[in-house]
Amino acid sequence: MTVLRVDCDRGLALCADEDGSRASVETALVDPVASGDVLLVHAGTALTRLVERWEAPAA
Amino acid sequence: MKFVDEFRDAELGRAVAVEILSRVEPGRHYKLMEVCGGHTHSIYKYGIDDLLPANVELVHGPGCPVCVIPMGRVDDGIAIAHHDGVIFTCFGDMMRVPGSSGSLLDAKAAGADIRMVYSPLDALRIAKQNPDREVVFFAIGFETTAPSTALTLRRARAERLPNFSVMCSHVTIVPPLRALLESPDLRLDGFIGPGHVSTVVGARPFQFIPADYGKPVVIAGFEPLDILQAIAMILRQLADGRSEVENQYKRVVPYEGNLRALEVMAEVFELRPHFEWRGLGFISHSGLKLSEAYADLDAEARFRVPGVRVADPKACQCGEVLKGVIKPWECKVFGTACTPERPIGTCMVSSEGACAAYYNFGRFAREREVV
Repeated sequence: MTVLRVDCDRGLALCADEDGSRASVETALVDPVASGDVLLVHAGTALTRLVERWEAPAA
Repeated sequence: MKFVDEFRDAELGRAVAVEILSRVEPGRHYKLMEVCGGHTHSIYKYGIDDLLPANVELVHGPGCPVCVIPMGRVDDGIAIAHHDGVIFTCFGDMMRVPGSSGSLLDAKAAGADIRMVYSPLDALRIAKQNPDREVVFFAIGFETTAPSTALTLRRARAERLPNFSVMCSHVTIVPPLRALLESPDLRLDGFIGPGHVSTVVGARPFQFIPADYGKPVVIAGFEPLDILQAIAMILRQLADGRSEVENQYKRVVPYEGNLRALEVMAEVFELRPHFEWRGLGFISHSGLKLSEAYADLDAEARFRVPGVRVADPKACQCGEVLKGVIKPWECKVFGTACTPERPIGTCMVSSEGACAAYYNFGRFAREREVV
């Protein structure tokens, strides 16, 4: 999900998924997030922030 | 969308499929198991098995969190939901899982106040909004959802909410994998490792698979190219005579996992001596319960539950499907008595269940083949 807005006091972030649906997400388990970050979210909790460290699929 | 589109590139997919073809030895049969329901769903949704050579077989393991919940646990949940003044909350998939005398959805239709939630935090909010009611959250899932439950319990404790409790049915992934590897009726060549569980636990817990059993593991993402690349990496290991844990899903999974999630889980949960899995029976140290420090928030201590073990319906072969011994369509009731609309077994309930995924996507390809 993509972070739209951050509520630092409550440890929550308003996020939108691929279809545009919005939800409040718990961010206690990841480093501080900012608008535009892409998070992996499970059951309303962010488990990690996606970063560009992937290897291109082998051709 | 970033991190998604790149992994649905058809041209690259064909290139990886060609690599897979070049890696297999003719005459050798390869049996690879994925142990995450998300992988099962993607495999059928994208027709990944159609891109594989005939001698590379994908076997679907016990990775769907809803599918492994035994009937007795559903009955326990329904018993709690029927207590006066209780609001019982659970994930949507869980509402349709059959117990011995109906599902939570049936109990809701009969008058129990059962509500679907998106996260345990929603259940906590309901508890705050209803201080005169007891609110119970039915917590299920592997290490992916357990941190969310743990954080919610920590919030409940901090906010001193007296009317919130959790019926904990969380499970862990490693014990069933060991049980499968010890199973005499299943010969596997390698594992597609669970991407999102690994985000939490990291890669280390899977080291026993190559170390003790000599099988490769490749932790994989959920897009079609992720899965194809993971299969290519497993076949590469087999061709080279190696067995290691490799991480295809590096954009998400750090080797050490999520240390904060592991810390909160260690604070809130402890291992049960044993836990019953649907189709797999009792597996030692495979289920989580609330730790001593959070025992007062345990719904099973707050409410009386039957706690009775209930055998699966005789017609249902979810156990064999979950162990990868039979394919979904080989079950006697698949697609006839058991459908996503009227499931008999759990594998037909969740979109991550092998039977539901195959019913929704794969059966059409098979019908075409028959024609």
